[in-house]
Amino acid sequence: MFPELNSILSISPENIPQGQFVVLSDRSGDASFLIHHFLSLYLRAGCKVCFLGLVQSFSHYSAIAQRLGISLPQARERGQLVFLEGLKESLGELLLEDVGPGEGPLDFLRCPQSDLRSLFAFVRRSVSKGVEWGPPVLLVDDVSVLLSLGVTVGALQDFSHYCKAALCRELKGNMVMLVRVEEDEEEEQSSELLLKALSHQCSLALHVQGLSTGYCKDIHGQVEVCWRGGAAPTAGFQQQKKLFQYKVHDKGATFFARGTSSAIL
Amino acid sequence: MLLDVIQCVESGRFVIIQDSVQCCGRQLLQSFMCAALKREEVVHVLAFDVAEEDLRVPSDSGCAQRLCFHDGYTDPLGWNDSPPLTVLQFSPGEIHALLSRSEHPKPVTLVIDSLSWVLRHHPPAVVCQCLQELRRGGAVRSIVALLHSDLHQQGIVGSLCHLATAIVTVAPALRGHHTVAKTTRRTRSGRVTQEEECFIIKEDLTVTVQKQTHHPGQRDTEQEEPQADPAAHLTFNLRLSEAEKEAKDKLSLPFVFSQEKKSALLQPRPGAGQIIYEPDANDDFDQEDPDDDLDV
Repeated sequence: MFPELNSILSISPENIPQGQFVVLSDRSGDASFLIHHFLSLYLRAGCKVCFLGLVQSFSHYSAIAQRLGISLPQARERGQLVFLEGLKESLGELLLEDVGPGEGPLDFLRCPQSDLRSLFAFVRRSVSKGVEWGPPVLLVDDVSVLLSLGVTVGALQDFSHYCKAALCRELKGNMVMLVRVEEDEEEEQSSELLLKALSHQCSLALHVQGLSTGYCKDIHGQVEVCWRGGAAPTAGFQQQKKLFQYKVHDKGATFFARGTSSAIL
Repeated sequence: MLLDVIQCVESGRFVIIQDSVQCCGRQLLQSFMCAALKREEVVHVLAFDVAEEDLRVPSDSGCAQRLCFHDGYTDPLGWNDSPPLTVLQFSPGEIHALLSRSEHPKPVTLVIDSLSWVLRHHPPAVVCQCLQELRRGGAVRSIVALLHSDLHQQGIVGSLCHLATAIVTVAPALRGHHTVAKTTRRTRSGRVTQEEECFIIKEDLTVTVQKQTHHPGQRDTEQEEPQADPAAHLTFNLRLSEAEKEAKDKLSLPFVFSQEKKSALLQPRPGAGQIIYEPDANDDFDQEDPDDDLDV
């Protein structure tokens, strides 16, 4: 959890907004530090968290959360965290032969043209359990990996719509999804479209971008924060935007206005 | 023109509000709903994109009776049990059935939020046919639909816009909290008019047009401050009086080839140079090729 980012977004573990759909995206940069931030933030706030970790193993997330002062294995034992380890589960799904469709959360891997209904059912099941915890949260790292597994952009839009309807509206929880915009031209088109589609649905978007001038030791990139619709701190018709540059440290991250890095001033 | 489109009561009207990620058009859609309710029209809303509470308009009790929501947000694909409205129900017959459920027999204004949702699950041709049939059917007086144009191919957006009598494209203005609306309006006679306007939407959802921006580039230059005259405090004179100007005009410049100059140059003058050529005995002068000695 990065206190600086919390103050930018005016969120704190004691004051978690309700019904927020956050879209994280990165382009020639890495936004996964934001996923770790939101994971530790919601766990610290006592929310029931369902995490779809599709790109890394549980021990990876656990090691990083440890540095941020959160123990994922403990949270999982207590029933606060439901973790879907995509790397393991997908292999199991593909190797098992006798299971019919509509069984596991990742059954779309077997018939790529299908929708993500079973994955949604899994999310729904996991967040409805554990009433003692706070408002439920869904975290997905990352959605665009499903595109490369053969899921269409439309199916992902349907999935996020259902998740939003269930979590943000019905259960008054929150949702965070990460989209990677690929450099590859062909994949860029679909991931770009996915990002646009999710940005239409979301209430807060954080776009991470590498510096156009290339790698820099002291500035790791810039992040654009957009509040959309009624989520804006000052009520306005249009979305509000703020641009920051950031540097990720071992145990946190600093955010500063453009050109005000301590290395420059 | 935006205000005319909002207040237009012509039957068979079909307005498309095009928006993009940069600028959301939903609030303008709400303004259309609000205006229709104020005109005592019955408004039916097919809400797929957002929940009912996000699309509510501030209204009194009379208005609330005439506003009818059809919830396509909670379960648009029938994944849960007993969906109130699914996207598969988007067909003229089903929509007519939905509309006839309300108590008001008057022709209605149909609001669709958004066509993008429908287009994801129906082929564009089916959507176009359905909209066209609804317009002709008589039960629907006008249709107002939101379309996220950046999510679709240009051809699909184009074919939908061909059906529309008015298209409002919203975009963020360069500065301030305004929004720019580019309105294209098609009359029955087939005449097409276009206009760009800056507008803001107040809290009660009334639209106020701030200024018209025919040429966005021109507007910028108008707003620039008049520049200070650089020739104001000079130690020398940059300007000419009338007499000086006349004298200047009279002066003929050395390189101007006037008639007198030309004749003076062509007339042989005493003391002017002359070329005398006396052929040498060794000269091999060829009449047919005078340039024979040149190495070309």
